[in-house]
Amino acid sequence: MKGVVFNILEDMVVEKGGVVLWQQLLNKAGVEGSYISVDTYEDAELFKIVHEVQKALNIPLEDVIRSFGDFMFAKLADRYPMFVEAESDLFGFLKSIEPVIHLEVQKLYTEANLPSIDCANGDHQRLVMNYRSPRKLCILAEGLIQGAATFYQTPITIDHDVCMHKESDHCELTISKVNV
Amino acid sequence: MSEDLELYKQAYERERKARLAAEDVLESRSRELFLKNQELEASLVQLKAQQDALIRSEKLATLGTLVSGVAHEINNPLSFVHSNVDTLGQHSEAIAKLYPLLIESLTLEESDRAAFAERVFKFLEEEDLEYFTQELDGLVSDTNDGVQRVKEIVRNLRSFARMDAQARTKADLNEGIRSTLKLINNQISANTRINLSLDEIPLVFCNPGEINQVLLNILVNAAQALEGQSEPTLNIASKVDQDWVEIKIGDNGKGMTQQVQKRIFEPFYTTKEIGKGTGLGLSISYGIISHHHGELLVESAPNRGTLFTIRLPIDGP
Repeated sequence: MKGVVFNILEDMVVEKGGVVLWQQLLNKAGVEGSYISVDTYEDAELFKIVHEVQKALNIPLEDVIRSFGDFMFAKLADRYPMFVEAESDLFGFLKSIEPVIHLEVQKLYTEANLPSIDCANGDHQRLVMNYRSPRKLCILAEGLIQGAATFYQTPITIDHDVCMHKESDHCELTISKVNV
Repeated sequence: MSEDLELYKQAYERERKARLAAEDVLESRSRELFLKNQELEASLVQLKAQQDALIRSEKLATLGTLVSGVAHEINNPLSFVHSNVDTLGQHSEAIAKLYPLLIESLTLEESDRAAFAERVFKFLEEEDLEYFTQELDGLVSDTNDGVQRVKEIVRNLRSFARMDAQARTKADLNEGIRSTLKLINNQISANTRINLSLDEIPLVFCNPGEINQVLLNILVNAAQALEGQSEPTLNIASKVDQDWVEIKIGDNGKGMTQQVQKRIFEPFYTTKEIGKGTGLGLSISYGIISHHHGELLVESAPNRGTLFTIRLPIDGP
């Protein structure tokens, strides 16, 4: 996992609970905790910290991961504004993830293990995103999509019936715009 | 304590900002590096294409050397074969006329013999047939020699016919040396003494067309280095050295300085006049021998001459 993900998790914990809490969580997880965005670290290290966050907050793990995704989108948009500026609406942005964002990431970090995101089906109101990754972090993807929807001020619902955690080889995230 | 915590938070925030700034610089440099790398890769593709084009032009230059040599070698016997056939043609008409005379002689009356003999002698004198019959054997034998020489050149040319073939096979390198020498005979000045000392060597697993190209390059270079020398000598030897076959081609020509020797296998390096050499001959030769897992060595001294040694593994690479 790229270091930037660890950095954003740190930002989230520090914003909500302070530096002291972050250090306590690192100590409990038994990790050193110095991460730089461009480097790559073991996935297991991230999961150890997330597990400690979940224990500290005493909320379901899925909620922690989803909230983290939502928070991560805002931070990434702040750090790499060119990608959100290039697209004027939510669906346009989601469709640009694979051909634009992942392509740019691969150029800089050839070792990055990116998920496969396919937004082939859909219309103006509804978009089906097929997610495939050996990490099975579809809940994080849900949080990121929610974060993108907030950024583009587009209320949505996400249906996630086909899931890699339910014996499927991929996840289908159906994103529907909510008329307000 | 609370004041301390506040100060720690400020320090933490400052370090975090510094880290983010450093990471931004790193990412921007990585992006620049990626773009430069892309440019370099594009240049590399372009360079490779240019190099391929130059290698093709060098092959054409080698082919040009061969063609001029072959043309010269064929032209020489062809001119006297042509002259001999012309002479034979001129006299064949007269010889044809002898046949009816022969038939006529068989039916002659005794009284007509003297007059007939006078007619025949006059005819023989007019047509110069006495001289022709004396020369006939020589004409036919010279013509045969000429035709044999052309046949030999064509046979030598066959070893070059597969110059572009990639296939490796067992080849007689002594045969390669002999045929290459004959093909470039006209490029070696007539007063050059050629010492051939070819041991019996086993067949070598190689691409014979490519090895002949190397021999041709080295021999043509040697011939050029011998131009203007008072006693030009070319020593060519082959022998077996354990699992290797070794070919030595030495001349007592101009020779080379240490500085020149260091660069002769570099692509485009040439000491020849503009238009005389592409500067690729020896670098391609070096590449060919390397691909065969062999060695191409050079020893040289100014005004003393140059010795090239080609070493090839008998069983190939």
